[in-house]
Amino acid sequence: MTLVELALYFGLLSLISVGGMPSVMPEMQRFVVEVKGWLTPGEFLQAFAVGQAAPGPNVLIASLIGWKVAGIPGAVVALLAFCFPAAVLAWWVAELWDRFKDSPWRRAIQRAIAPIVVALILSGGFVIATPASPDWRLWLIAASSAAAMLLVNANPLWMLAGGGLLGAVLL
Amino acid sequence: MNTAPPKNLGELFFGFLWIGARSFGGVLPWAYRTMVEERRWMTHADFTETIGLCQFLPGPNIGNASVVLGKRWFGLAGAVVAFLGLMALPFIWVLALFTLYNDFSFNPVLKAVVTGVGAAGAGLFIGTAVKLGRPLARKPAALVLIAACFLSVAVARFSLVAVIPAGLLLALLAARRNWL
Repeated sequence: MTLVELALYFGLLSLISVGGMPSVMPEMQRFVVEVKGWLTPGEFLQAFAVGQAAPGPNVLIASLIGWKVAGIPGAVVALLAFCFPAAVLAWWVAELWDRFKDSPWRRAIQRAIAPIVVALILSGGFVIATPASPDWRLWLIAASSAAAMLLVNANPLWMLAGGGLLGAVLL
Repeated sequence: MNTAPPKNLGELFFGFLWIGARSFGGVLPWAYRTMVEERRWMTHADFTETIGLCQFLPGPNIGNASVVLGKRWFGLAGAVVAFLGLMALPFIWVLALFTLYNDFSFNPVLKAVVTGVGAAGAGLFIGTAVKLGRPLARKPAALVLIAACFLSVAVARFSLVAVIPAGLLLALLAARRNWL
């Protein structure tokens, strides 16, 4: 039953995830932690951390949640459910999108999506850095890594490493 | 610069496997390096155009890109092979790392480090949002939309299933009036 629920929920997320995985992080946290109680807020943050630190697309956090909920089958189901519906859409839309290159609607859609994606990614960052009640130490780490990313053009792994170090000192 | 698509499914699979294998800190730069610079499967312009489309589509950007490119070169088989190649190793590694972490998560220092890494990852999201949002900063309608969307998702915790359609509709109306 849990597997079906996982598949349906991640399948739904797949179709609304404009801007990719970061956009749906707040929704995923809401459902997995607050509605279902599959993970505690801390566990969600840690699964996210492992997903970020490991090489690979950040969509793999879906498989970590699936693994927590229903083992290896859960990991496979959650990953495929998150990828498949969007992949089918990409399959059909790719050619259509090329054909409407100069259509005013295509430009309107592109401009409309930009602020929504910005807001969703911002929300993702805020929600992850605020697992339960606001904690200034997590906000400080998040703010430092955001500032470092904007000021220095380095591999993001350095920011993650710095966050781990600050975590060891502060938390 | 001469570019040529992969010659067969094997080459496609190992190309994407190689992208996934070393994509520390984000897949996109490694995808670019592998497909444009090293194997010369496609041009810079072609890569940018494909990624642009995949960033606009829902779903994992780079996962979508593997499907779109696999399809372009080898049809359905190509789409499946490219996707599996991309995900295979990272999937195993992330589960292995998480298993390892769970075995040692009783250790408070490790827990603090991993929590710090997570907070830093959240900071990268915030940095990305600022980067993407810079060109919008002078458009009041965009700022209002961003604020409204952030408040309903991050603070009020409304479901995206409601916020995204409503937000997109408003944004589309604003875009048609040239406010965005």
